[in-house]
Amino acid sequence: MLIKIKDLKKNYSLGDAEIPVIHGINLNIDKNEYVAIMGPSGSGKSTLMNILGCLDTASSGHYYFNSVDVSTLDDDSLSIMRNKEIGFIFQNFNLLPRLNAIQNVELPLVYTGTPGAERRERALKALDRVGLSERLNHKPSELSGGQKQRVAVARALITNPGILLADEPTGALDSKTGVEIMRLFEELHAEGNTIILITHEQEIANYAHRNIYLKDGMIHSDKLNPQRNS
Amino acid sequence: MQYNENFYLAIQGLADHKFRSFLTMLGIIFGVASVITMLSIGEGAKREAIAKYQDLGVNNIIIREKTLSDEELEEVRAKFSQGLSFDDANVIKEIVPGVERIASQAEKNTDVRYNDKSVKSTIIGITPDFQAMMNYKLQNGYFINYKHYNERLKVCVLGAGVAANFFKGEDPIGKLVKIDDQWLEVIGVLESKSLFTETVGELAARDLNTDVFVPLSLFQNRFTRDNILASEIQQITVQINNSDKLVEASKIINEILRRHHFNNDDYSIVIPYELLKQEEKERQIYNFLLGAIAAISLLVGGIGIMNIMLANVMERTREIGIRRAVGARKIDIMSQFVIESVAISIIGGIIGVLIGIILSLIVSLFTDINTFIKPYSVFIAFSFSVIVGVSFGYLPAKNAANLKPVDSIRYE
Repeated sequence: MLIKIKDLKKNYSLGDAEIPVIHGINLNIDKNEYVAIMGPSGSGKSTLMNILGCLDTASSGHYYFNSVDVSTLDDDSLSIMRNKEIGFIFQNFNLLPRLNAIQNVELPLVYTGTPGAERRERALKALDRVGLSERLNHKPSELSGGQKQRVAVARALITNPGILLADEPTGALDSKTGVEIMRLFEELHAEGNTIILITHEQEIANYAHRNIYLKDGMIHSDKLNPQRNS
Repeated sequence: MQYNENFYLAIQGLADHKFRSFLTMLGIIFGVASVITMLSIGEGAKREAIAKYQDLGVNNIIIREKTLSDEELEEVRAKFSQGLSFDDANVIKEIVPGVERIASQAEKNTDVRYNDKSVKSTIIGITPDFQAMMNYKLQNGYFINYKHYNERLKVCVLGAGVAANFFKGEDPIGKLVKIDDQWLEVIGVLESKSLFTETVGELAARDLNTDVFVPLSLFQNRFTRDNILASEIQQITVQINNSDKLVEASKIINEILRRHHFNNDDYSIVIPYELLKQEEKERQIYNFLLGAIAAISLLVGGIGIMNIMLANVMERTREIGIRRAVGARKIDIMSQFVIESVAISIIGGIIGVLIGIILSLIVSLFTDINTFIKPYSVFIAFSFSVIVGVSFGYLPAKNAANLKPVDSIRYE
């Protein structure tokens, strides 16, 4: 069991009032699963993703990652978790505009103290893995949407994380480029990566092998995708 | 996280916003430049004062005849004072503890002539110890020694101004100059001395470079006094072996002279070292003001840095969120921003040091204020600017580090 979530709740305080967003979720995810988390806006899927990605902490309940209780970790340990175990891929790419493609991919390794030469070597390898071999010295503003998302995927892959966490990865792309990115995800899954996909599009969720549907901060349904599990 | 990485990032960040970085640095630049200029003006004034008093000898007590009108002179003579005398000098040497050397001098204002040139000069009869006590240096020849003194040789040592006036391109040594009706051989020329622009006690302001020195024995023997009532000598210089004992010794000297001169107040005692200390004390307030002005400009510079860095953190909230998401710890973000403000202050500090040095040079070239840059003042100004960078960069950096990653990554 890679991820085990028990009675997870999350409230946001709005002035004096506590607004519950996640009402108590129990969830297990195995290694090498490909899961899509779906739901309408306000269903709590972004909050769940933030907690899964160690960007935020739960109000109560437990989140075990590789048997480590993440809810007890301090800020520095959470940073190390994000660095080593989680690869984020965002809808709007979230690349640093002042750095070129290689430097953006290297970024997580900067915070592990990896020497420059090794960083570069690994960055080139990761970029090669996502199928980007040119325009490597260009800044994000000089890259197309698909290229930017490939750079982001390469950055997520570079530390060999436990999970890839993709938040609407095709949301800012045209449908053709979106399909290319989803193919890339399939390949990465086939190579043994664990992928969690957050989306509100059924079409995209269909690529995953397991679909979890959130509604009002609770799991509404959790089923395997028959097309993908044959 | 490697710090050279952060430093590289900081420099790149500054280069991306050249104009803004420059404006941010301005405060530091002017702060550092003013610290250096102010300190150099203070130091220049100090050196000027020290040089002035060094001419009088920092271990010396100077007893000088008061300038009296003819009536006053007649009055003190009627009251049995014979003015300063060799007798006075001998008693001081015998009674006052800690006397290293003692020198008497007699003076007379008259013309010195060479060929058809003539210079208004002060002729000073001295004993050979005088040179060592007053720290006089020669640019040429040698000073009056015991042989000259004991044998009353007709020799003289010229002040730099007199020599320059008489001997253009000529070697002055061995030439004969005429004082009153006496021909004297020039044996030495003094180095130029800074002008005495202020009156110190009874020591009137005058141009020391027009002095001409002759053996005191010769002076007494060959030169007539203007006034029959004139004292035997005009000045006694007493060198004490310990500068802490100067005040004590001067009190004893005063007691002796008061008795010798039958309570006539016809002499004054000057302690150059004490005057120097007093002047230094007065200058402290002035230095404090200069320092305060400079410190305020550095402070304003620091506030400028803080202001820009706070805006910078806001503007880069998203970047901070991204860095946090890929694994940057709070301390990594914090050091990134602190290093950035330190880089601003270091670069600003370097430019400020250069401008400060140039300003000090301009001040000393175009005004009559002396400046002197001590290496430590450059060090102080520079380290101050770094301290300002760290302390005023701290708050914005802390703000940056404390942004919640989940909020900052979605910040538009």
